[in-house]
Amino acid sequence: MLFRLAPGDPVARMVDPMWTPEEVEYVMSQLGLDQPIWTQYLFYLKNFFSGNFGVSFHYGEPVHEIIWKRLPNTILLFTTSTILAALAGVFFGKIAAWRKGSKSDTWMTISALVCHTLFVPWFALMLVWILGYKVGWFPLNGIISPEIWVDESSGFLVKALDVLHHMLLPLMTLFVVQMGSYLLLMRSSMLGTLKEDYIVTARAKGLSEKVIRNHHAARNAALPVITSIGLSLAFSINGGALTETVFTWPGIGKELVFAVSNNDYPLAQACFLLIAAVVLTANLIVDVLYAYLDPRIRY
Amino acid sequence: MDTPSERIYLFNRLAKGWAVFRENLMGKIGLTLMIIFALMALASFFTPFLNPMYDPMTGVDPEISHATGPSLRHWLGTDFIGRDIFTQLLEGAKIAFMVGLSAAFISIVLGTIVGMFSGYMGGVVDTLLMRLADMIMVMPSLLILLLLSALFGQLNIWLIVLLIALLRWPGVSRVIRAQTLTLKQRPFIEAAKVAGASHLRVIFRHIMPNVLPLSFLYMTFRVTSAILVEAALAFLGFGDPSQVSWGMMLQWVWKTGHMFQAPYWLLPPGICISLLTLSFYMLGRAMDEVLDPRLRKEEHSD
Repeated sequence: MLFRLAPGDPVARMVDPMWTPEEVEYVMSQLGLDQPIWTQYLFYLKNFFSGNFGVSFHYGEPVHEIIWKRLPNTILLFTTSTILAALAGVFFGKIAAWRKGSKSDTWMTISALVCHTLFVPWFALMLVWILGYKVGWFPLNGIISPEIWVDESSGFLVKALDVLHHMLLPLMTLFVVQMGSYLLLMRSSMLGTLKEDYIVTARAKGLSEKVIRNHHAARNAALPVITSIGLSLAFSINGGALTETVFTWPGIGKELVFAVSNNDYPLAQACFLLIAAVVLTANLIVDVLYAYLDPRIRY
Repeated sequence: MDTPSERIYLFNRLAKGWAVFRENLMGKIGLTLMIIFALMALASFFTPFLNPMYDPMTGVDPEISHATGPSLRHWLGTDFIGRDIFTQLLEGAKIAFMVGLSAAFISIVLGTIVGMFSGYMGGVVDTLLMRLADMIMVMPSLLILLLLSALFGQLNIWLIVLLIALLRWPGVSRVIRAQTLTLKQRPFIEAAKVAGASHLRVIFRHIMPNVLPLSFLYMTFRVTSAILVEAALAFLGFGDPSQVSWGMMLQWVWKTGHMFQAPYWLLPPGICISLLTLSFYMLGRAMDEVLDPRLRKEEHSD
């Protein structure tokens, strides 16, 4: 709805200057743009609840079809990187806290800070430049190599490996960006846990240091990291949109940036609503999960 | 704060804080980096006077009309229309400080006020303000800014600053609210109320001085995120076209297709953004330990 206030006339984008005024008017009425604004809004509400987000001005296809095509790519990239980053963050954060004050702790903390404050697009460009262009290990952008997919003889495995090959650089970018904050959080949470009485009890029972670290301290310390996955989702989505744009990874984030640059309001709106819905649902899931994992919490 | 003994007390506290700070490796690194960038920002005021071709936006070398590598005349080379990259870098430092500090300042002022009211008033006010904060907090600010700039066309740099601030206060307000809740139970607040102080007076005269150090601590973290968001916005092509920022420089390298040919142009802005944000973040963490070792929380949230 807000999108209709925007400058930049979408019709001007579609209309061929050679068309007659009658033809222009016909297209306008087909798109419903000649109706008063409140009628457009009622239509919008009706369509919104029936899952119809309209037709993209740029692609000329229904928006929900475009979204369905892009969504798996984003989910693939995003969940893989988030899971890997959270696991690595918990693992290294645990070690950093366990060796608090040592050299390895200092280095791990500083590198985590560097990862956390890194400028994402620049880091992505550097990876493309060094690993993609100079060394040539990875493709520069995109998600598939057309020649492999056009070739009838290439099997599923070859195609999957091709996607993986394209995915490694964006994955690396998102992984590095996300891991820093998980590491810092796990470290501070673990430092708090190590002061608890039950750690002293575990020591007094004569348990080995490894058991204390992994089973008594780390398990409790990892809980806040799980909540933070929900809270830091906003931060990761920003990074994700930038990463997708730089690598032209055909996902929701790239599509949103593209739609905004091209005054493609229906597409931009749908992408944004989807992201907002995902963020809110994810936070809800995390809250529920937290209560399930930590029996001390009761709502 | 006016009696001499209080002043000496304050001075002692500062001196003690400085002593703790100096022991801190991260604080030292952060402060050094920040001073270097501040000098760069200052230098940007003088370069256009040396020679008009050293103006970051309009200065074009009369003999060069394309990207060239570093030389004596242009320490970091020139960009695609012959502007000096080093002066652009200096100008970018100025913009980054401007954006970072002002956005962070506005957001902590907002966050502190909301947090104090929310914590002090409690009840419906608290619930409403905090749910609003939750909602804003989980939204990706960069994407919201993108949409707004699509709606209003090119955003002016000060509008960007304001919008970043409006999207970035909730983190601060949560912390300040928690602090206010504990302060509320302390006897001196009760005493002020008994003495007949109004709500506003209690909030601004008695609670605010006690939460301000915390606010300023969070300001350093906000500076980091504000600089990153502005740079990202400029990188995607939605920055203020009349300002040369580091994000804008990166966008020029990227969009004009020079990123594989011109490392002298690709490297400096990215390194600068990352180092400046890192310096503020490290400074914040160091101050964190100076102020209160128990406060190590929430710094991950964005």
